[in-house]
Parts: sequence; C-alpha cells; structure tokens
Amino acid sequence: MSRWIKFFIMIALGLAAGLVYAWAISPVEYTNTAPDTLRADYRCDYVLMVAEVFHSDQNIDQAARRLGILGSEPPARIASQALEYARLANFPASDLALLQSLTATLQTWQPASGGISP
Amino acid sequence: MSAKHEPSRGSWYLLTGLLIGLALGLLVAWVLAPVEYLETAPASLRPDFKDKYRGMIASAYLVTGDLGRAQSRLSLLGDVDPVQALTLQAQNTHAAGDPDGSAYALARLADALKQSPSEAGLSPTPELIASLIQSPAGGATLTPTRRPSSVLTPIYTPTPRPTRTPTPTVGAAFVAVAPESVCDLNLSEGLLQIEVKDVAGQPIPGVEIIISWEDGEEHIFTGLKPELGNGYSDFVMKPNVGYSVQLASGSQLVTNLSAPSCQTNSGESYRGGIRLLFQQP
Repeated sequence: MSRWIKFFIMIALGLAAGLVYAWAISPVEYTNTAPDTLRADYRCDYVLMVAEVFHSDQNIDQAARRLGILGSEPPARIASQALEYARLANFPASDLALLQSLTATLQTWQPASGGISP
Repeated sequence: MSAKHEPSRGSWYLLTGLLIGLALGLLVAWVLAPVEYLETAPASLRPDFKDKYRGMIASAYLVTGDLGRAQSRLSLLGDVDPVQALTLQAQNTHAAGDPDGSAYALARLADALKQSPSEAGLSPTPELIASLIQSPAGGATLTPTRRPSSVLTPIYTPTPRPTRTPTPTVGAAFVAVAPESVCDLNLSEGLLQIEVKDVAGQPIPGVEIIISWEDGEEHIFTGLKPELGNGYSDFVMKPNVGYSVQLASGSQLVTNLSAPSCQTNSGESYRGGIRLLFQQP
C-alpha cells in the first residue's frame, strides 16, 4: 500500500475519531438555554399556560409579555403556531378553545407602548 | 543511511495524517456544523427562565386548580425538590416586591403539593409531556391521541380531577382571636407572629396581611416560611409604636398592638412579642 493511501486512511481515522469525540464521547450538554429553543410541544404547553391565565384575567398585555420570552416573533404568531401544533396533536377541545381565544385576541391586539420585552 | 530512516519517516507521516483528520473532525463538529440549540427541554433552561416557567405553571394552576397537570409540568423542570423550589421562588419574588404578582400563586402551589399524597412528583421524562397535554382541564376521560413526533411515546397517565385548594372566601371576614403576649428569649424582640386558619382550622398560605402604624404600612403574606407553618407570617415591631393588623381579604381590624415588656429571670427587661390568630368562622 502506498504511503499516500496510508496517509489518507489515517486522515479518515482521525476525522472519525474527532467526530466520535465531539458528538458521542463529549457531547454538548444543553444547559442555560433560552425558551425560544424549546421543543414545539413544550412551547405549545407554555402558550397553553398563558392561555389558561388569560382566560381567567383577560389581561392581554400581560399575556403578550409572557409570550415574549418564546422569541422575537409577534405574540399572535407564537400563539397561532401553538394552536396549529395543538390541533395536529389532537389536544382536548377545551385546550384548543383556550388557545383559539388567546390567538384571536392577540391578532387584533396592539401593544400599548414600546413593544414586548421578554 | 537513508534506509535506516525509512520506518521513522513512515510513522511520522501517519501520525500527521491522524492529527489532520482529528483536527478536521473537530472543525466539522464544532465550527462547520456546530450544534444548534434547538428542541431543548424546560429542564435545560437558564435559571431565570426556569423561574419564569415555574411562575407560569403556578399562575396556570391558580386559575385551573388542576394539580395533576401542574405536577406534570413541574417535573419537566427537573427540580430535585419542586416544593422547595416553589417556596424559595415565592420568598424571593415576595422579597423583590412581587413584580409579576406570582408570589401568591407559587405559595399556593407549593402548599397544594405538600398536601398532595403524590407530592414526590413524576420523574422528568420526555414522555410526561404526552400525559401532560392529555390531561383535560375539566374532563374525566382520557383518550389516546396521535403525537406529531415518533420520538415520544404517549403515556396516558390519568391525572387527578381538578381539586381547588381552599381559598379565603371573599366577604367571609376572618375573626381575630385575642392577641397573646409572648415572652420568649429565643424569639426576636418585638416579633409579631400571625397565623391565618380556615373554617376547618387548616392554615391558609398566601393570605395578604396589612400591618399599619402611624406613619407607615406594610403588606406581608402567609406561607413564606413554610417551616413555621403554611398559614404563618411575622413582622418585627419597633419599640413604642402601636400597630393595627387586618387581612386584605377582609377581617376584623386589630388595633393598638405593641411589643409587651417582658423580664428575664435575672430581672432584666426586654421586648416580648405578640401572637395573633385570624380564624375563619
């Protein structure tokens, strides 16, 4: 076997070792993440919590503020994404109604001043 | 001469190849295709975001009364002791002036969990979300549903029906039992100890108490020192100041409370405390 072949074999072995080390032996640990990285079902559940509280207090400004921690998108969009997910996941009708109510209210809502700060 | 060097050269270039490959591997894994922080779980959130998430769970519990769902949600945060985490956050939030108004909800949820037989909670597995979203707020029957991701296998764990924890009924004024002087050197001087109990004699957490004096007023809450009781709260009275105490939700007004004078066995005087009980009739 020529030296070049051996050389490239070693490179391939090194590459494989590097990937195994970085992805398997010492994988990245998810700590100190922000809520906008949450998985869709967790995001949806957070929005559902906001909807539950909104259903009780009808405080849309507070609901929008609470949704603000899920990202920089408009609260109405965050809520409608959650509603879409909830429909696909066959959430109970009562939960869908809560999400629907929150989404509908947010779609016509205008921030009182400034914007949303998480 | 050159033949002697052949094996040594061979080893070095192989090692060089290995190192180049290793460097390329790390370059790919850490730079060219870095890990993106997506699809994370609540347990991995930064502590301040966890607090917001926990506060949201408590606020939602307060309006739905669904303890099973709250437990499932809390387990996603991976707290070693959810009750302690809630209590601590309630205390910190209250100390910070309760900017988002969640201290009461946190205290109520902590209290409800303490009274719940399944307080130990559920282990924070990803599957919990499935049971969590399938716990209808007011329903009794759980029906299996399709999940969009094949990663999660829904485990349909029936959660308890919503059981609301006792709340002070608006308009049902609390009655103050005659204040009792306390002479105890082990307590802080001038300590006003207040307890709030419901009709059944059970302590009620999260009750707002208004303490006022000639040129000031302070609002305190029960349940923020759970080690002393869920319906307990205290306040240190200044010397020679008369205080009035009333529950914000409505109670008899107790006036002219001041630290009594007590004496030690050796005759030295010190300021004692007062114990005051508000009982729902």
